[in-house]
Amino acid sequence: MLAGLLLGLFFSLHVTAFATSAKRLVIVKVDGLPFDTVDRFVRLRDPRTGKSLLPWLDHVFYQGGTRLANFYVRGMSLSGPSWSLLDTGQHLQIKGNVEFDRYTLHPYDYLNFIPFWVANVGGVRVDMPGPELLDEVGIPLLADAYPYDERFLSFQLYQRGTRWTTLQRGLQNKFERAPGELFDEWQLGIGGRNILNTQQERELEDKLQDPKVRYLDFYTGDFDHAAHHNRDAVTQLAALRELDALVGRVWTAIQRTPTASDTALVVVSDHGTNTDERIYSQGYNLVKLLASAVGGGHHVVTKRRLLNAYALKGIYPLIPLIYTTTDDSFYLKGQSTTYPTALVDFDGNERASIQLRDSDLNLIHILLQQLKRNDLPAPLRSAATDALFDTINRRRAGWQQTVSEMKDELGALHHLIERQRAVVEAQPKKWTKEDSDTGRDREARRQFARLDSWSSDEREYTVYLQSLAGLLALDRSRFNPSEVNIEALIPKGAMGDHNSIYALQNYVAGPAPTGLALKPDGSLDFERSFVRVNYFSLLGDISVRNNVQPGVEAHPVDFVAVRLPIEATGGAFGKDEIPDEVIWLYGGRDRQALILAREEGGRLMLRYLPIANLAQDARGRVSFNRAAWHAGLPLKLWEDASLNTPSGEAREGWLGGWHTDLEWLRATHLTKYSNAVVGLHEQLARHIVEGTDADAPRLSDDERCMRRFRARQRVLVESDLLLLANDHWNFDVRGSNPGGNHGSFFRISTHSTLMLAGGEHTRIPRGLVVEEPYDSLSLMPTLLALTGQIEDGTRPVPVLWRQGFRSFPGRVVRELFEETDTTAPVADTINRPEAKP
Amino acid sequence: MKVVPPKLPVKKSLTLLLALFILAGLAPRRPVLAQIASVLTADDKSDDTLPRKTQGASPFRIETLPVGRDAQLLTVFGNLDGLKSEGAPDREVPLVSILRDTLGDENPENDRLRYVWMLTYTRPTALQRFASAVPFLYGRVGDKKRASVKGVPPPVLDLADPKRDVWQRFMWLALQNVVFNPYGTAVKASAGALRHNNERYRQAHILRALAILSLYEAETGAESAFTPAESAEIQARLMLTSKTFGGLIDDSYLDEVLRRQTTEQLDARGHNWELLRQRAETEGLYFEPLEMPGGSVTHALVWVTREDLQKHNGRKFGSRFLNIASPWDDSRLARWDGYTETRYLDASGRTVAEGTEGARKVELIPLALYGLDFPKIPTLLVDFRDHLNPKKREMSHRVIEDVARNVLSLSRYGDIHYFLGRTVFDFVTSRRGIDVNQPTRLRAYSQLKLLLSLDATLDRGLRDEIGKHIESVSLNPLENDLEAEASLARQQYAALVAASKKSDGLSLKLDRDRREEMVPLEHGSTGRVLLRFANVLSFGVYKHRETAAPETVRQTLDAERRLAYHKRFLQEVAKSTPVVEVVWNVEDVRRSLRYVAEAGERGDAGAARAAAKIFAQTKDAETRRLCLDCLYRINNEAAKSALLRVYQSPELGPELRRLTAEYLRNALREEQRIAPEDAKAIIAAIGQ
Repeated sequence: MLAGLLLGLFFSLHVTAFATSAKRLVIVKVDGLPFDTVDRFVRLRDPRTGKSLLPWLDHVFYQGGTRLANFYVRGMSLSGPSWSLLDTGQHLQIKGNVEFDRYTLHPYDYLNFIPFWVANVGGVRVDMPGPELLDEVGIPLLADAYPYDERFLSFQLYQRGTRWTTLQRGLQNKFERAPGELFDEWQLGIGGRNILNTQQERELEDKLQDPKVRYLDFYTGDFDHAAHHNRDAVTQLAALRELDALVGRVWTAIQRTPTASDTALVVVSDHGTNTDERIYSQGYNLVKLLASAVGGGHHVVTKRRLLNAYALKGIYPLIPLIYTTTDDSFYLKGQSTTYPTALVDFDGNERASIQLRDSDLNLIHILLQQLKRNDLPAPLRSAATDALFDTINRRRAGWQQTVSEMKDELGALHHLIERQRAVVEAQPKKWTKEDSDTGRDREARRQFARLDSWSSDEREYTVYLQSLAGLLALDRSRFNPSEVNIEALIPKGAMGDHNSIYALQNYVAGPAPTGLALKPDGSLDFERSFVRVNYFSLLGDISVRNNVQPGVEAHPVDFVAVRLPIEATGGAFGKDEIPDEVIWLYGGRDRQALILAREEGGRLMLRYLPIANLAQDARGRVSFNRAAWHAGLPLKLWEDASLNTPSGEAREGWLGGWHTDLEWLRATHLTKYSNAVVGLHEQLARHIVEGTDADAPRLSDDERCMRRFRARQRVLVESDLLLLANDHWNFDVRGSNPGGNHGSFFRISTHSTLMLAGGEHTRIPRGLVVEEPYDSLSLMPTLLALTGQIEDGTRPVPVLWRQGFRSFPGRVVRELFEETDTTAPVADTINRPEAKP
Repeated sequence: MKVVPPKLPVKKSLTLLLALFILAGLAPRRPVLAQIASVLTADDKSDDTLPRKTQGASPFRIETLPVGRDAQLLTVFGNLDGLKSEGAPDREVPLVSILRDTLGDENPENDRLRYVWMLTYTRPTALQRFASAVPFLYGRVGDKKRASVKGVPPPVLDLADPKRDVWQRFMWLALQNVVFNPYGTAVKASAGALRHNNERYRQAHILRALAILSLYEAETGAESAFTPAESAEIQARLMLTSKTFGGLIDDSYLDEVLRRQTTEQLDARGHNWELLRQRAETEGLYFEPLEMPGGSVTHALVWVTREDLQKHNGRKFGSRFLNIASPWDDSRLARWDGYTETRYLDASGRTVAEGTEGARKVELIPLALYGLDFPKIPTLLVDFRDHLNPKKREMSHRVIEDVARNVLSLSRYGDIHYFLGRTVFDFVTSRRGIDVNQPTRLRAYSQLKLLLSLDATLDRGLRDEIGKHIESVSLNPLENDLEAEASLARQQYAALVAASKKSDGLSLKLDRDRREEMVPLEHGSTGRVLLRFANVLSFGVYKHRETAAPETVRQTLDAERRLAYHKRFLQEVAKSTPVVEVVWNVEDVRRSLRYVAEAGERGDAGAARAAAKIFAQTKDAETRRLCLDCLYRINNEAAKSALLRVYQSPELGPELRRLTAEYLRNALREEQRIAPEDAKAIIAAIGQ
């Protein structure tokens, strides 16, 4: 009782602390801005002026605001997922810049603006794919906390709606200038990006004059672009100086508004960048590897054109699915668009997500092809037929469950479509200016976009299910291979279900060059009948001959990460070890680890377990050898001098235990891989949210089915293999990014930027540097706390709750709210005061 | 085909004569005032006049020589260790000279950079000149052995008059079309060839000067003899010579030009490095980047091992981006007796010392050398098996242009079919990165020559092999080989040094330039246009210069250049930030405002606008007062209009409002230049 009262008092104190709120929020979102780079240049003096090289960042945030010295991406250092964490404050639902649905090949391309603009003009889409997806799973964005007419959103990844007038006015303003100036700029080169950014900035400054607007943001990807291309400090500094000048203009514009003292300005970035002035980032072509015979002879689908800048088709901006056809396919020659067997997303480019077609589908496909041959000897025909039906029967239960569940789900979807159609038809056909000003017209178009998207889902999944049902309907007794239409049985353009570890270690890539072979007992000899690939050893063993840069290893792949189904690990763990989730990191035969995760009392607990020789047998049982801690294990924690275990704890003892995500973050954030243990869990674990929680009470059947359907869709985009590149390696094959890359869990890539400053009423401390590590999940609750929209550090105020906002798993940056008697600088035991420049 | 109307023979002959006269004049010009410096005629003697090299690791050093009492000649020397043969004497060679007009004081505010000499750039010999006018002659005809020691060598650029380049280019075009083309294919082709060769010869040396200066800047950093602004100006202006209208770009954009071009170049270099590495890796070859002394990688070699030749015999080879023949079925390589290198590689493929445990011995055969500073693709410079391969690629664009223009008389602007066909062809070759019809690889060749000259770490045999190939690739009859260029540079520098010591050498040239610089101060815009016409119509023979005593010229230019300096600074301040004191040292801003205010009458509308903007963008009381002072003292309508707007601003404090009112009142009283409507507004607001 007393404890409850004390807890209540504690929370009420925090409500009071957070209630010192900003009334207006201006966020400058900078893609790929590494804090270390910012910090380095802010501290350097311009010999010409004696001021900082980034004088505005120095003035606004270093002297007049607060900066977080250790702010990290939680998860991969990749824009799509990372901005989703920052913009929602909820665990990851979006796991890549591009995701592919395994059943339908439907691509979710979260980065590509042009198809969105085209669809927007056509009226079939209102929002970028990111917000659409988050709407489906019921996660609102920070901007959704503000009514339509009280917010100003720039062009960004998680963009709601678009403003065509911005481009039009941008062009007008660009060319309404003195001829001399225009001439000089023409000679220098007039950039479209510049036109758009300048106009957005102009509009933001205009909107600042409107006291009604309480949320404004501005997104820029210029630094990220520069750092991908150029490794030199001059280029990166130039991009930073443009950002610095932008911050200066926005800050000054804020100061000229009557609400300046209530306005907070925030600069936040989604990730850092692995760039080094002495090293070119080297690319490795995974598409080529997978297409090669040794890689499995796959027809590969990507969402980025290979060597785009050198392809005539590269000028086509809508970027459909790109099929890379291989001549090395073992059994699907000439069928690349019908039967691609690998999907690759390499954005970032220090990581790549690979999905391979279900190995059993390959097996069935090959056997059907073989059985259709007239020259197959009878014993082989019999053995192959047995093998075919054995395989189908082995998968029958799972596939039948899929068919059955998805029929229910598509039924529920159909009901939803019917209801939605009525909603769409009820929408007015004409809109007034008031409707437009309040966003009602967009909301109506959004209803249509949903209907369109759902209808397409229903159509595409139905096609897949029909094929699967056909396969299940095959009857051994009536089976006549010559009458079989393979294309009706093997779903086209589908990867089928995820591959098991066993399948990935014994992947059926094609028939053996010598054809099918029999065992002495007359059954099919699987070992000799098929070309098989072990993808773990294949990827782990890649090595290059041209090793010309000191500091760059000859192996492009650092490690491979996969999620292990917990049911397969039964018996492998002791009583106190049993996890809810397991992630396997493969760095080589004797360089492997498991990341175990479980929930204890509402807290996420994680453990790192060194192992070797993990394998799964054909029955699905996973086995491995436990290994002692040694150098060279994935994430290289053991040998990292920056590992900061709690005082008095031996390295081995601490590393061997279960710890909360915060404890891991505090101990490891300064190591080479920073918060990778937490990040890998965030990336590979499944995070159930309200929109995907089919087990929630009091749901109607349709609601339950729809939630299960949404959860299934998220599972279907998961990778079979997540590849992490070695330091200064990347997997970009669209072009090359010699300047630098990101996407990995290296600290240099995950170490991001968060800085805040504000007028006096916001009470954001001046000259404060927060040394305590925080991650992306902290941004949303912190900003809501800053604006008085959160109650106890986790729970949104009722009005937001009603809009779909839910408790936030991240920590509020408490240092921002700690009251002190002194003016700047502010510090406590954790934070060190910043010396005056 | 376009029909050219017949002309009268006399008229025709006259125009041809005139044209030839101009043609001769457009090649690097002979000095107007030639004096023989007898002591500098021989190489040995000229060596005596050259300063001795200082100790240090940098391959560059700078020497400053006074020119008269009010200018300096700054020369970058380089250690051409790459050219050093066994037992050869010190190979320090003067490379680039720049004339800085200081007006005789230490104040950099009134300095002006004038000429840039790339000392290997010289007047061609008669044979070279003749050969350069022969159409379709794409090769060298020998070296110039001895440079003229009379007068001043030809500069590659006049930094104080970059516009001249643009006008000259247009005059050439006009000449070509109006004068030469009507005489038929032979004359047209000949004139075209001469023009192209001249342009490319100059451009090659500009690019090399640029490479040297950027290397020098990278090596010396803050110790550079040039201020950052000067360095930016020199490099940006040299870069802009490759743009048709580059000479017309305003000085305020030079920093931006330098930054953007440098970024683009580094971007291309990085992409090409990576593209070539990946292609070499894919094809089973070895990639080796070559470093300039500053550490930048501008070129790369691709090798094959003898062992692989045997192992991969008949292997499929993709020549995309490599642009060389397959090594796997090449009989020449099977019996290769050319240059090879033996290296030892460890398990990870790194080169290690002989005897290292586990090291593998490989014998490498060079296949090709590529330039990495080329747009979009690594450009083939040397094919060790086929020396014509890069030459054919380099020639392709030129041949297409020459045949279309000179043989078929096709013009993009006169024939829609040709325009469309050519546009598609250009797009496809450019987009796909096909190494045919690409821009010239002059930069890559110029840099390679520099690399070979400066880099002593390259094996002598390999350097000789590369040197042999690049000389044969040259398309330009005006070019000289590396050894000849080093000798020419010494001779030309000696001539320059001699000219700097003569009262009728560089000093006289400088005096004429200064008097030309006075023209805008004495003549209005209409007058200047007329004088420019006179200059153009006389084909450059007439050039108007003011007549004034040297001291008067010096004093006038001192004031004007300093005013321009402060005005430019204030414009930069006003443009760069919404709050001046956050970004700039306020005392610097005040100093410039003071100077502009003191200049008063000479201040223009640009200075007034900058002062007005700074007034709005600062809270510093002293700076604001100085802004008002400027606006009062600059006697033009823009200044008074800005002053009136300040007065009308509701946010103005009482003290500054009083001061503004007083200034406006005084301006009226002093009958300064005020727009009528502003005058009325002033009277209405504050009375007379």
